[in-house]
Amino acid sequence: MTVSPQTERERGGMATAVAAESVPLLEMRGIRKRFGDLEALKGVDLTVRQGEIHALVGENGAGKSTLMNVLYGLYRPDAGTIAFRGRPVHLTGPRDAIALGIGMIHQHFMLVPPLSVAENVVLGDERSGPVLAERVIEDRVRELEKRFGIVVDPAARVEDIPLGLQQRVEILKVLYRGSELLIFDEPTAVLTPQEVDELFDIVRGLRDEGKTLILITHKLREVMAVTDRITVLRGGQNVVLRGGQKVAELITKDTNPAEIARAMVGRELKELRARATPPREQVVLEVRGLQARSDRGAPALQGIDFTVRAGEILGVAGVGGNGQSELAQCLLGLRKVMGGTIHIGGIDISRDDPKRTRARGVAYVPEDRRIEGLVLAFTVADNFILGKHDHAPYARRGVLDPATILKTGGRLAAEYDVRPPNPRAIVANLSGGNQQKVVLGRELSEQPKLIVVSQPTRGLDIAATEYVHERLLEQRGRGAAILLISSELDEIRGLSDRIAVMYEGRIVAVLDAASATEERLGLLMAGHTEAAA
Amino acid sequence: MTIDQLIGAGVLAATLRLATPILLAALGGVVSERSGVVNIALEGCMLVGAFFGVVAADQSHSVVIALLAAVAAGAVLAGIHAVAAIHFRSDQIVSGMALNILALGLTSYLDYQLYGTTGTPSDLAGVPDVEIGLLAGVPYAGDAIAHQNAIVWASLVLVVLIQLFLFRTIPGLRLRAVGEHPRAAETVGIAVRRTRYWAVLASGVLAALGGAYLSLSVAHSFTDGMTGGRGFIGLAAMIFGRWTPVGALVASLIFGYGTALSFSLQGASIGDVRVPVQLLSTLPYILTILAVAGFVGRSRPPAADGIPYETEGHA
Amino acid sequence: MASNTQATPTGPATAPSVRQPTAQWARGPAVPIASVVFALAIGAVLVLLSGHDPISAYADLFRGAFGSPYDITETLIQTIPLVLAGLSVAVAFRTGLFNIGAESQLLIGAVAAGAVGARFADLPGFLLFPMVLAAGIGAGAAWAAIAGYLKAARGVNEVITTIMQNYIVVFVMHWLLQNGPMTAPNALGTPASSPIGAGAVLPIIIPNELVPLTRLHAGIFLAIGAVVVFWFLLWRTPLGYELRAVGLGARAAAQAGIDPRTHTVMAMAIAGGFAGLAGMIQVTGVFHRVFDGFSAGYGFDAIAVALLGKNSPIGIVLAALLFGAFARGGSIMQANAGVSSQLVSVIEAIVLFVIAAELIVRLLSARRGRKPVEAIA
Repeated sequence: MTVSPQTERERGGMATAVAAESVPLLEMRGIRKRFGDLEALKGVDLTVRQGEIHALVGENGAGKSTLMNVLYGLYRPDAGTIAFRGRPVHLTGPRDAIALGIGMIHQHFMLVPPLSVAENVVLGDERSGPVLAERVIEDRVRELEKRFGIVVDPAARVEDIPLGLQQRVEILKVLYRGSELLIFDEPTAVLTPQEVDELFDIVRGLRDEGKTLILITHKLREVMAVTDRITVLRGGQNVVLRGGQKVAELITKDTNPAEIARAMVGRELKELRARATPPREQVVLEVRGLQARSDRGAPALQGIDFTVRAGEILGVAGVGGNGQSELAQCLLGLRKVMGGTIHIGGIDISRDDPKRTRARGVAYVPEDRRIEGLVLAFTVADNFILGKHDHAPYARRGVLDPATILKTGGRLAAEYDVRPPNPRAIVANLSGGNQQKVVLGRELSEQPKLIVVSQPTRGLDIAATEYVHERLLEQRGRGAAILLISSELDEIRGLSDRIAVMYEGRIVAVLDAASATEERLGLLMAGHTEAAA
Repeated sequence: MTIDQLIGAGVLAATLRLATPILLAALGGVVSERSGVVNIALEGCMLVGAFFGVVAADQSHSVVIALLAAVAAGAVLAGIHAVAAIHFRSDQIVSGMALNILALGLTSYLDYQLYGTTGTPSDLAGVPDVEIGLLAGVPYAGDAIAHQNAIVWASLVLVVLIQLFLFRTIPGLRLRAVGEHPRAAETVGIAVRRTRYWAVLASGVLAALGGAYLSLSVAHSFTDGMTGGRGFIGLAAMIFGRWTPVGALVASLIFGYGTALSFSLQGASIGDVRVPVQLLSTLPYILTILAVAGFVGRSRPPAADGIPYETEGHA
Repeated sequence: MASNTQATPTGPATAPSVRQPTAQWARGPAVPIASVVFALAIGAVLVLLSGHDPISAYADLFRGAFGSPYDITETLIQTIPLVLAGLSVAVAFRTGLFNIGAESQLLIGAVAAGAVGARFADLPGFLLFPMVLAAGIGAGAAWAAIAGYLKAARGVNEVITTIMQNYIVVFVMHWLLQNGPMTAPNALGTPASSPIGAGAVLPIIIPNELVPLTRLHAGIFLAIGAVVVFWFLLWRTPLGYELRAVGLGARAAAQAGIDPRTHTVMAMAIAGGFAGLAGMIQVTGVFHRVFDGFSAGYGFDAIAVALLGKNSPIGIVLAALLFGAFARGGSIMQANAGVSSQLVSVIEAIVLFVIAAELIVRLLSARRGRKPVEAIA
């Protein structure tokens, strides 16, 4: 595309002057995008009007980010059209999007840490000769800041400023290039509540300056606070039900969090499965005041309390990224516990390494089976013995016993329905469901006391999913305590005795399964706290 | 052991001489790694520069053509590394090592085929020395320092130029961005792969110039493997100098001084004890290990260094 | 403050050969063989361009390596240190590490073996030989463990450390052997140490009547033994299982209780032990003393040997044999055909480069219209 930004915007400006709201600023129709086997977008529509703040809402994996990456030119759609100011556009890359006046504030900031704020803002569009004149670009950035009411020191290095301020740099980048349509991808994911309010002020200020904004988010507070209209995505498709009539979008002031939540997470309400036996009295896992940090150093767990009894499944519901991964890692000894305690059977394991923790009878089905759960290049049999390879019967006096390993591998493969039940098969060549069965066979076969399970059926087909659920219930009946972390509400509600909801590193509620309706869970997961009652 | 052996004029002059090839390799390393490509093949680029410079000097009797041939050879070798690293996204260490072995084998092979056992001719056109009159006035060492080969002065000028380029120009800013966060650079429309190709080619040119210095200015001949690991020492100087040209200069001077000292102290002793000069020569390498291990300040390469870059599914 | 990047020292995160193609045809010996053929072809072009006949040059190469029983024993003598150095590099690769320092570990093993062998030269064989063996292996292991420790404890890329260590050892050897603590007068005229005691010498294993003047020594048995140890360690012991798990799936191994950091140190130590053994064998079998500059770069060839042999026992033996043949045949080729023996270095470098760029895999996959898919740990 070689349309220059100036003329495009001038034309746009005249158009809106003449016909105020007749032509939407942006119309995306029937967008499809596939990545290998996964169809991320299945024909999505989006309409955004000039001067509005539009929310694009949905759970993790619903397709929101993918849709916006298509708009920004980072991905090319397999099908569908995009019309900007009424004219069809074909984007070959971010340069084209920028030229049209579309700017993206990424969720994972696209900033170069050792460079200064000003350098990051102008990078790629420096508008000066070959010489880098720091003063000049800093002044230019200061002007921009004054105009839009955004404050951040242009001379500071990006790696030295907190994430909340880094986000402002991303916003300035986009404004510097004269963006008229700003896309915010999960803007409050890394912000404190105060920073969120400051961001809202900036957002409103931008709207008052005539900009149009799209907010990608799953947080209902934000949606209700600043947006005008809402488009909901689920499983790569638009979805809203309103009295049976399919409406493409909601108008914020006419809707409420419950309706949005239901659109985001729910299908038809499912029957709850009857529990075969009630949980036992004995407490197996007790977590008190658990604190931990994420890989980036931000607080990930801010004081977690819960218990799990023998013969009980405690489901942990929540949108991914609210501390669930860190929780599982702390329980296994893979992440440092910064505060609080973890007791298993009365023994404090918060300082133990994974080997010792597992020796206490803890099993782990990790959320990423390909990287954390299995050594893909090993055989099925070798994966079955991972963690047990150094003692009998698999090794005697320092020597591995291949015959026993193979025999056990064959037995477990048959028992756990791995297809084909060949212990010599390389795990990388198995389907996802069979790979997960290998993990289960390894983790569940030795009567564990506590099983930590994370996203166990992610990417699995129905048959494999049902198999996993059956085995988990079987373990529950056997008396194991199970911590089930999942962002699939159906799964949580179908299996759990009690459900804890995690949000921003805290457990915001623990409900009995019976009283945990889709609606209630959806609201809690989205940060909408219930009135004390 | 005398003071003169430690910091005499001769030692200081030798320091500058010995530092130059290391410095040129280090500058090449800085440029390449700042864009995010590890170029272990600098040793090989240096060697082909040395060899083809000699061949061209022999054939053309012109210093200019000899230098051009030298840097062209370095650029070609670096270009192969660039294709492997950037286009094929192969492992940059293995690719670099392979090219080093290739350079050694190829230059030795051609040396034998062209010059047999008699060796390269002795009347090669050489790069002239240049006297900087101003410096001669400097007390104590002026006389010795002021008289250096043209390439020595050129490399000092290059330090300034590259430092300015990287930190005071827009193209330099972009190059650094590519090396730190290539995806961020791509999202603002910078051509990551193209930038890296240029950087790697430039590194080959610089290293080859260092090789040409060895063969055309110092030895006036070519012997197999004459670079003797200076390319690797250059990488060490780059790390020790924290990936900046000025730092590389300081590091190269330190390393050069160590070598100069080991020559100057031959046969010297402190009281009765002989000075183990060879052990002095290990100093640069020990210092580098300490620096990389974080014992001597924090030494961090560009964040995307050595990581092959995958563009997303778009154009 | 929080930021998106992590500081890592120079170099890639995973050692190269740990990535394995899942395509079936790419898993066998097809790729190494094709790489060698490709390299030989380019070598032939090079010979042609310099005005010689490639066929006769390669014929001389082959004859020099395998032409007579004596030639074969000479080839084997070159092969032995290559096998051991190749095992050294391979065991590190299997754990996800890049051991460029096999050369310095070999030299340090040689120095230690030579020093002990000379110092205690009068001891009888059954005492002296084990001491010398232990010294060689131990020195190599300890030296390599330094690099392993720095990586485990401070995240220092082992490539940098081992390259630096290569140079340190070279200069230490200069110091020791040039009018230094280990220097001894000798008829060779080169800086060298005192000869080792007779008890430590590896005997020639083929009687003179069978193959006159042969130098083939008992080190070949040690090498074969080392190959067996390599195989047994990696595939028949829990430690070997853990090393492979760390190399192929460090995160899965970690959550199962296998600590990648301790295994990094162990793997480097084992690698250093193999290389140190190579150096020890060169001293006790071939030269019977240490002299300055004696290694023919086996440690660097070992990288190609390991990659070509796909880090597996049989593969390494075959690749070492190939390179050993090149080394031996190359000098004959130079004498007879006038083609510089450096041609073999060129061929070896091309082989290494082709493997690094995964050229064969990509070329053939592209022709089949598929992108090569990798199962990356």
